[in-house]
Amino acid sequence: MNLFLFLDRDSPVHSLDPRTKIFLLLGSFVAAVLFFQPGPLFALLLVLLVYGAMGRALQNLRRIWLLLLSIAIVSIMSWSVFARGATPVFWRVTWEGFLYGLGAAIKIDSMIIAGLIFLSTTKTEEIVLGLIRLRVPYQAAFAFSLAIRMVPTIIGTAVTVTEAQRSRGLDLESGGPLARLRKHIPLLVPIFLDTLRNTDQLAKALESRGFGARRERTSYLEIGFHAADGLALALGALILAIFVAIRFTG
Amino acid sequence: MPVIRLNEVSFRYRGANEPALSEITCHIRAGELVGLLGRSGSGRSTLASTLNGTIPHLVRGDLRGQVHIGGQDIRAQRPRDLADRVGFVFQDFEAQLFSTNVALEVAFGPENLGVPREEISRRVDRYLRLVRLEALRRKASAGLSGGQKQRLALASVMALEPQVLVLDEPTSDLDPAGRADLWDAVRDLRRERALTLVIIDPETDEMGWVDRFIVLDRGRIALSGTPSELRRATGTLEGLGVKGFTLARLASAIGLQEEWQDADQAATAIRTAGWRVKEDAAETMRRADAERANGEVLLEVEDLTHRYPDGTEALSGVSCAIRRGEFVAILGQNGSGKTTLVKHLNGILRPTAGDIRLSGQSLRGQPLTRLSRLVGLVFQNPDHQIFAERIRDEVAFGPRLQGLAEGEVARRVDEALEAVDLAGAGDLDPFVLTKGSRQRVAVASTLATKPEVIILDEPTTGLDHRELEGMMALIQRLNQAGHTILIITHAMAVAAAYARRGILMRNGRIVRDGTAREIFSDESSLLELGLTPPPAVQVANRLGVPALTLDELVASLTRAPLAPCPPAPRSHS
Repeated sequence: MNLFLFLDRDSPVHSLDPRTKIFLLLGSFVAAVLFFQPGPLFALLLVLLVYGAMGRALQNLRRIWLLLLSIAIVSIMSWSVFARGATPVFWRVTWEGFLYGLGAAIKIDSMIIAGLIFLSTTKTEEIVLGLIRLRVPYQAAFAFSLAIRMVPTIIGTAVTVTEAQRSRGLDLESGGPLARLRKHIPLLVPIFLDTLRNTDQLAKALESRGFGARRERTSYLEIGFHAADGLALALGALILAIFVAIRFTG
Repeated sequence: MPVIRLNEVSFRYRGANEPALSEITCHIRAGELVGLLGRSGSGRSTLASTLNGTIPHLVRGDLRGQVHIGGQDIRAQRPRDLADRVGFVFQDFEAQLFSTNVALEVAFGPENLGVPREEISRRVDRYLRLVRLEALRRKASAGLSGGQKQRLALASVMALEPQVLVLDEPTSDLDPAGRADLWDAVRDLRRERALTLVIIDPETDEMGWVDRFIVLDRGRIALSGTPSELRRATGTLEGLGVKGFTLARLASAIGLQEEWQDADQAATAIRTAGWRVKEDAAETMRRADAERANGEVLLEVEDLTHRYPDGTEALSGVSCAIRRGEFVAILGQNGSGKTTLVKHLNGILRPTAGDIRLSGQSLRGQPLTRLSRLVGLVFQNPDHQIFAERIRDEVAFGPRLQGLAEGEVARRVDEALEAVDLAGAGDLDPFVLTKGSRQRVAVASTLATKPEVIILDEPTTGLDHRELEGMMALIQRLNQAGHTILIITHAMAVAAAYARRGILMRNGRIVRDGTAREIFSDESSLLELGLTPPPAVQVANRLGVPALTLDELVASLTRAPLAPCPPAPRSHS
């Protein structure tokens, strides 16, 4: 089971410089937080989907659609109930509250999708390299990539431990909230200890590969700005400018 | 001048009472290939960890004496500063891989050392070619097999071009084909460039190609010598808890003073010396086998298919029946579907298609708890399940979940601990135990739920020779006491010696299912699946007798009555 998001493909988005993609990601976050109305946020979502399609990254949506959907449902339901508005629809739900919830749903989902596209089209080594070129210290940039590296390991351990305890008869689905929480102790202890052991192993393996031996490290990957990066950044800036204009004039 | 010099090296882990190493003095020449043997806890891994400075820099404790690598004291240098001189490959291949794909993994070390880009690129090509992974350079390491991962770890360490390479049990988690490929890659590397090698591997039989063995016992060097010298000292070796050379044991069992390199040579020499197989040998073995008839069918797997959520089909139309009292070994390479199959038998996984019948009753649409009551599954790594602070509570976990009264729980815990030879240890913290004993705790935890069928996934991985024999004797006792046993194992000697039936799997299918004798006497089918029969079985096959262990083989041999007994010829090698 592959738990990494990166999809190794040749696409125009893959071949962009990681710094370009970092800027585009930040730009999409800015555009998303500018608005509360569903209309412009929906337009942003469409732009992101086109970007994702160009990067051939949308198949990863299948892996997180449940998350996206639950965020949308929770957001729409809670805002519909709790936000006040002038136009009642039924019970406490108002049209304005519904629209606000819908907007918030698209906003959060868009930001997640933007992050997903970034991780699907950029190798962690490229992200590290891009961050270094943006003057982030190497140790900090590498810590970020190590965090991404550890997620699948921990999930893998969690799956195995859960299977092992279930095979001993542990039933996680029944009982009250407190009882259920207590049932997780047999899971958490082995997962925690295994992760500790793993981290210790990882540290030894990193050292033996010369990690941190020199101040200056070289890079096997090459990154650099090309014409496509200029075009992508210009287009991104233009779209962001349009969103800003809509926000502050309309 | 030796490249590795240890002078009176002692080490005590922080908090430990006994030293892990005591006054070790040894020199290793440049280009030498040294095999490090010893039971678990003998100090093998501790010694290896001093060679790249992991001890004292990353492990706390008290180091005395001098460790010099290439003339420099390791105290002055951290492992990362030694990385271009001493390479280290660990047992756990998952923890050694950090990168998005294969090529970047190899590049990671040289990048850290500031090697120019063109040179990195040259090294990536070179070492991927040497470990035969060049075709996979863009592949994510998560998608590689265990054997490929370990070869990738080897290439990424070699890309630092060290003079010394330390391999700490690199094959323990690999299947037989993965092991063979890794050793081939190591030999190829050694042909390409001068390399001093220190290898820890418990499979003595597969280590005959080293220049010298060093055997540790309780932190001291107990024995050292060339493979020939150690073959002659096989008895001493076993006294130190290390697996002896099978062929050397065979030779001495029939009174031949010879040294054999492989099964062909052994078989020829045995014939030349006038030994032959007793005429009724095969018949006697089969009769003994037949005496142990099995009971009725307990579990039936019919046309079982399993597809994981990501679409991979791990099992495709598997059918088999398990009878009461059987002892079955499920064999096959990593990824052939063995573990997925047994997870169905215990109800952890539900079939995508097909059916499992319990005493003739279909489980389709039934809760799987009925299955988990009948079938206990002991996972490969005991540390994935041990959580309690006392062994007694750990073992009581299953029975308590079944809702048994505390009196009954206590009785079962005592019984289970008794069965695994841990009676009286109930109040200890499981984490003070060795890996072998933690494995026993896991078995006891399963036993305490009184399952009729016990499945063990790789029960001997990471155990030393003595612990392995103890574990297998325990499993055999359980079988004799009436439990039906299924084991998944890569250890062919274990499968041959203990199982009575073998199921061979490949690519999610059962490709052969028969008695252990049938399976192991058909050597070509095994080899086709990347499985090598153990040395004793190989010799037996060449002599034409279906013996499964060294003892059976020796018992089936007799001196030809007519031929005069020639003096045993001296070995030419």
